[in-house]
Amino acid sequence: MSGIDVVVTGLGLVTPAGIGVGPSWAGVCAGRPTAALDPVLDRNPVRISCRVPHWDPGALLGERRAHRLDRFTQFALVAAREAIADAGLDPTTWDGARVGVVLGCADGGPGTVEEQHRILVEQSPARVSPLLLPMQLPNMLAGQTAIEFAATGPNLVVATACASGATAIGTARDLLLLDRCDLVLAGGSEAMITPLVMAGFAKMGALSRREDDPLGASRPFDLDRDGFVAGEGAGVVVLERAADARARGVRIRARIAGYGASADAHHMTTPHPEGRGIETAVRTALADAGAGPGDVQHVNAHGTATPLNDLAEARMLRRVLTGDPLVTSTKGVTGHLLGAAGAVEAVFSVLAVEQGLVPPTANLHTLDPELEIKVAGSATEARIDLALSNSLGFGGQNAVLAIAAV
Amino acid sequence: MFETLKEILVSKLKVNPDQVTPESTKEDVELDSLAVVELSLVLETELGVSITDDELLDAETIGDMARLIEERSARV
Repeated sequence: MSGIDVVVTGLGLVTPAGIGVGPSWAGVCAGRPTAALDPVLDRNPVRISCRVPHWDPGALLGERRAHRLDRFTQFALVAAREAIADAGLDPTTWDGARVGVVLGCADGGPGTVEEQHRILVEQSPARVSPLLLPMQLPNMLAGQTAIEFAATGPNLVVATACASGATAIGTARDLLLLDRCDLVLAGGSEAMITPLVMAGFAKMGALSRREDDPLGASRPFDLDRDGFVAGEGAGVVVLERAADARARGVRIRARIAGYGASADAHHMTTPHPEGRGIETAVRTALADAGAGPGDVQHVNAHGTATPLNDLAEARMLRRVLTGDPLVTSTKGVTGHLLGAAGAVEAVFSVLAVEQGLVPPTANLHTLDPELEIKVAGSATEARIDLALSNSLGFGGQNAVLAIAAV
Repeated sequence: MFETLKEILVSKLKVNPDQVTPESTKEDVELDSLAVVELSLVLETELGVSITDDELLDAETIGDMARLIEERSARV
């Protein structure tokens, strides 16, 4: 609309499929599920989760640095470092005042809160760590990223629950369109697989209870889906204006062609049954991209594998998009990365567009006939000019990114 | 006591062992005010020694901190 294009020039991932974009994308394209019984959740009613494998923050960030960071911030720093290197940038020489950070998370650092609360109750308030707040506050995600990479431009954390990562990328794009800065590290991070949080999710009835088959628990769009599996990790992208990217001769991975945000204003957790809120976000993103309902070849759906989400989202896709796009939910592999999901899935969408490859929806045995959408059951080569990445959050917040090939 | 303090700094506060000498300052081992409060808590739980963060902040070097801890534990 403004005549300015915002593009992606760097990608970084930490996911249950692996640390780094390479292993994560390989795991997702192979359709290898990552869910497993989690010993941390031993006493919980549901014990399945998708953990980042072989996570050694001390080795990745230095023991001293890692000790003072909650897990959700650790994930973000590692993903951001990969994205910055991928974009050919050097934080020791960049003009930090023109580098923004916009990251999203649903919950901050509940692991730190629960650990310190235990000390409060079992020992004494006097024993509570002075690092409690600096570790667990949600905004530390962007604050610590600024410290790590000398990024002194606009800096914020957004919270739209499970849409946070997509909201962050959309908001970062707005900052670039308004010329508030020249580069943005944008994305989301989450580490909320803790006994308390997971007990809460279980009580909401949101989680898959397929404990006899953890690998098969996260099964988006399947007839037998019974809820989501919580995952953890981070996704970070480097965004900049296309003209700047071309001027510095860096590879442009994809264009963020459009962004749509909306609220259901319906119920605190249940999505609108017809997907009216997410529909508004899709239509807004398409209009922002100057595209029509028939121009989308691929949708990386929110596809959590809860009965209600997948039905409402599919109904919306069927109603709004006319080009019979190939839909996938990478959550079959990664589980639901909550506040990081929108960012991680935006990275997968960039790769899909760039490589002409739609990753499969793992664990899709029998497509729920009520959904009436075309779901990729295996990795599928396809020319993709425009992809949508959908995100919906508890609270009724929706964010859609339209990602175009360059 | 220096070795005990070094062990605590390394194992509990994850300070780089190469940085810790009796002459090191708090800045040398990157002990900011939060870390000094943390150290005060660890000294109490690990050694049963009660030293406030303000007292630790007054110590110039790690060696001075070790002497302070030694005096205080002798009184217990």
